[in-house]
Amino acid sequence: MRPALNGGSLRRRAVTVAVPLLAAALVMTTAACGGSDDPAKPGEKVKLTIATFGEFGYKDLYKEYMAANPNVEIVERITKAEDHHKNLAAHLATNTGAADIEAIEEGWAGQFTANPGKFYNWNDYGAAEIKAQWPAWKWQQGSSAKGEVVGLGTDVGGMAMCYRRDIFEKAGLPTDREAVSKLWPTWEEYIATGVKFKNANIKGSAWMDGPTIMYRSVLGQQPVGIYDADKVVVETNPGVKKAWDLTIDAINKGLSAKIAPWSADWNAGMAKGSFVTLACPSWMMAYIQSQAKDSSGKWDIAAVPGGGGNWGGSFLTLPKQGKNVQEAAKLAKWLVAPEQQAKVFRALGNFPSTVSLYEESVIKDFKNPFFNNAPVGQIFSNSVKTMVPQYMGPKSGDINTAIQNGLTRVEQGKQKADEAWTQSVKDVNALL
Amino acid sequence: MTVTMTRPKGDAEAVAPTPPSRRYKGFVERRPGKLTYLALTGLALFSAFPLYWSFVVGSHDNGVLGEVPPPLGLGPNLFANVERAFGTIDFAKALANSFMVSGAITISVVLFSTLAGFAFAKLAFRGRNALLVMVIATMMVPTQLGIIPLYMLMAKIEWTGTMYAVVAPGLVSAFGVFFMTQYLGEAVPTELIEAARADGCTTLRIFWHVVLPVSKPAAAVLGMLTFMTAWNDFFWPLVVLTPEDPTVQVALSALASGYITDFSLSLTGTIIATVPLLVVFVALGKHIIGGIMQGAIKG
Amino acid sequence: MKNLMYRLDVKGSPYLYIVPFFLLFAAFGIFPLAYTAWVSLHEWSLLSETHTFLGLQNYRELFADEYFWNALRNTAQIWVLSTVPQLLMALLLAHVLNQRLRAPTFWRMTAVLPNITSVAAVAIIFAQIFGKDYGLVNWILETLGLGRIDWQAGTASSQIAISVMIIWRWTGYNALIYLAAMQAVSKDLYDAASLDGASSFQQLTRITVPAIRPTIIFTVIISTIGGMQVLAEPLLFGGGSMTGGSDRQFQTLSLYLYEVAFSRFDFGYASTAAWAMFGIIVIVAAINYFLTSRLRRS
Repeated sequence: MRPALNGGSLRRRAVTVAVPLLAAALVMTTAACGGSDDPAKPGEKVKLTIATFGEFGYKDLYKEYMAANPNVEIVERITKAEDHHKNLAAHLATNTGAADIEAIEEGWAGQFTANPGKFYNWNDYGAAEIKAQWPAWKWQQGSSAKGEVVGLGTDVGGMAMCYRRDIFEKAGLPTDREAVSKLWPTWEEYIATGVKFKNANIKGSAWMDGPTIMYRSVLGQQPVGIYDADKVVVETNPGVKKAWDLTIDAINKGLSAKIAPWSADWNAGMAKGSFVTLACPSWMMAYIQSQAKDSSGKWDIAAVPGGGGNWGGSFLTLPKQGKNVQEAAKLAKWLVAPEQQAKVFRALGNFPSTVSLYEESVIKDFKNPFFNNAPVGQIFSNSVKTMVPQYMGPKSGDINTAIQNGLTRVEQGKQKADEAWTQSVKDVNALL
Repeated sequence: MTVTMTRPKGDAEAVAPTPPSRRYKGFVERRPGKLTYLALTGLALFSAFPLYWSFVVGSHDNGVLGEVPPPLGLGPNLFANVERAFGTIDFAKALANSFMVSGAITISVVLFSTLAGFAFAKLAFRGRNALLVMVIATMMVPTQLGIIPLYMLMAKIEWTGTMYAVVAPGLVSAFGVFFMTQYLGEAVPTELIEAARADGCTTLRIFWHVVLPVSKPAAAVLGMLTFMTAWNDFFWPLVVLTPEDPTVQVALSALASGYITDFSLSLTGTIIATVPLLVVFVALGKHIIGGIMQGAIKG
Repeated sequence: MKNLMYRLDVKGSPYLYIVPFFLLFAAFGIFPLAYTAWVSLHEWSLLSETHTFLGLQNYRELFADEYFWNALRNTAQIWVLSTVPQLLMALLLAHVLNQRLRAPTFWRMTAVLPNITSVAAVAIIFAQIFGKDYGLVNWILETLGLGRIDWQAGTASSQIAISVMIIWRWTGYNALIYLAAMQAVSKDLYDAASLDGASSFQQLTRITVPAIRPTIIFTVIISTIGGMQVLAEPLLFGGGSMTGGSDRQFQTLSLYLYEVAFSRFDFGYASTAAWAMFGIIVIVAAINYFLTSRLRRS
């Protein structure tokens, strides 16, 4: 419900009836404010608001769409990801203020898909016909436990393993990416290679940055994750324990540089080689490139151990409070269609979530010169194709935080592995 | 909290009027030496460094964050980044909105706080202490959760997305009332008010002729602190405003993109948001900060 | 008739001075607070439509919640670490600024700079200063042969780092408040002291501090309230982590509340935490008041 859709007179009447004194006081002091909500002219033009965060690369697409659909006016709202999701929660809680189309990111998606009542079900707006476009796991992530489709996939992250060629060479490891990928078909072998690297004793370089990303990657490859159907199964699921144990093994073997992602040391470490492998989704390439701009050719990209994986990616949803659901659904479906995903990929590199595109040259022949011309299009699409579907429950974000905190406690030497596990399980149970 | 309303003992001597010449002399005696300036300069550098660092990052690119040691000079990209920032955000509109909002809030807070502070500090009425304690008590509840009910209220009166929604909750501040109460309690001698009453002055005249002049230094400080706070507030504005019609802090949120924050761009944005504030303070410096000096009590 | 007017003025007009404040305050200040009090009695998820009435169940749960007490302990520790040096330094700074300086406006401006610098810039710079591998402080420590510290990992080290951020940001703010109060102190007192040969520092402790004692008490109360609500600094120091470190070693009460409300979206329990915080601050403030007023009398 945008103010612009309401008559100005209605607004004024509501104010005078509700709080005359306040209004008087306010008008006195804020007479300069205003002009922010000119009432819309009663025309046929439909105004659609779409709220995203960061670079969706939609600006040119809006222009294209408005040119083809002159009856539609698109207004874009961009806020930073954290703010965006907090706002969306507040707007859903109060049933007012949300945009016609709201984007949600993977990390937050579970909380919203767990409340499908707040959104229109995409199944009622023709999603079934285009379902085949997405890999099954992406479709699953945007759906509730009962199968209501809350969000349609936009982009994905995929998963690969970035590694430092130059330091691999110093340690006597192979540097060619095919050969490197063969070093670690499994995570066990990834750890074994790490031990070899450690024994080469390269000063100032550890095998991996920290435990978080490794844990998340292993977990993502298990048949069952945090949730089994709509039940949290952290304690009983061998998949979660496997991800935990493998990561603990890597920590105990001294492979971690003990650096938190996104920290100042992490940024510096990319250039300095503080860690020589880094699990990286497609969007990480730009990050490494910006942080370590003088190390062109030093970083390369191989396949991720265990095969599949994903980190990041978003969805488009239709909040129930939207008034123009038909038009909004039409626009959103157009935005996530394969042709548009390809355009966005070309312009900004957001990796498409459309399986059919992976066979086309736009992806298949895509190479990244900064990373020794690695065929990143193929590497990332392989990881996306082999990724298994897992249901993202409402609390998986907080649960993963609790488990990752446990791993970090072990890494920081505060607790032994089993103590940390016990506390993490306790923390998880407290969340339920 | 009666403690805030009683005058300090040391102040009793201050009631007698002082000839201006002697006051001036007093200042001269306390002229600080070189060492003081040295310490102040060090402190100033320390205070200004993060702001300067914003310029450093804003004039390079993201890679500057990974460099060890970090560069201390300015890079070549400042204007390019400013251009990008202006291309992403309608800064003119955002700045205008921020000035309106912060200005309205500041005027209102200073005015209403001075009025209420005067009553609480110097007038006797039933329920005074209880009301004052209540004002202070409400400051103790964390405000972050208030945004949900406040949003519901704004939606009801259909103010969401408008500047009214940002201004209204800021119009009065418990801090301001508490601040003025304790300042006026200290600075206005009760004898003066009693004398004025004996001369047949009404309360309003006392407020106008006695209290207002004395309140200047505190009003200047309160105004400045309020303006700063209002200018930098983003928690509530982000929820209730939309990027179509934002304040500066809301607009800045659009600069931090996706998975990877472009720090050089977003810090350039914060410079654009901070510099006007600095300019205002410098331009009005004599009146605002200098004003802290002017109202020194005469009697 | 004139007498009646006079009585009306004395008895009635005080209310006119506070009415505008309380009217606005009731609508935009009290209403949201009262509402969260009501919410605190419910199971109330931000995203769900049904809100089950629980009575005091949330409060019972909260008082058995070890992370709540952990956050309270952290908050108290950070408060002590930050407030005491901050107020002492502010007092000194205000005293210096109260002298007849050249370019007084310039020096006062620098006092407020930390407060107007954007928190994003502050976060980045302090992350670099307290970095484990390439941070400035660790570089100095290592040069002195003292070894590196993982600032985030330790309880004491993380809380010290956060306190430094708080002190940096808020010292100038308090100095300005002191400065305003110092204007009300008669210059005669300083003249007399100067004639008696009192040093500048003696003037501060013997004249200024006693004279502005109510303001000092005011800032102690204000910074107690502010200290109990510290949110930005620990949030930024942890790089946006809402748990305040792997073992919640620097999670403050406000950060805990923030985690519950905006990560778990549990509005009911978060409101409970907010009102429990209120209760605790009232108790602390009461003790504070009791002690400081005892001090005043002695």
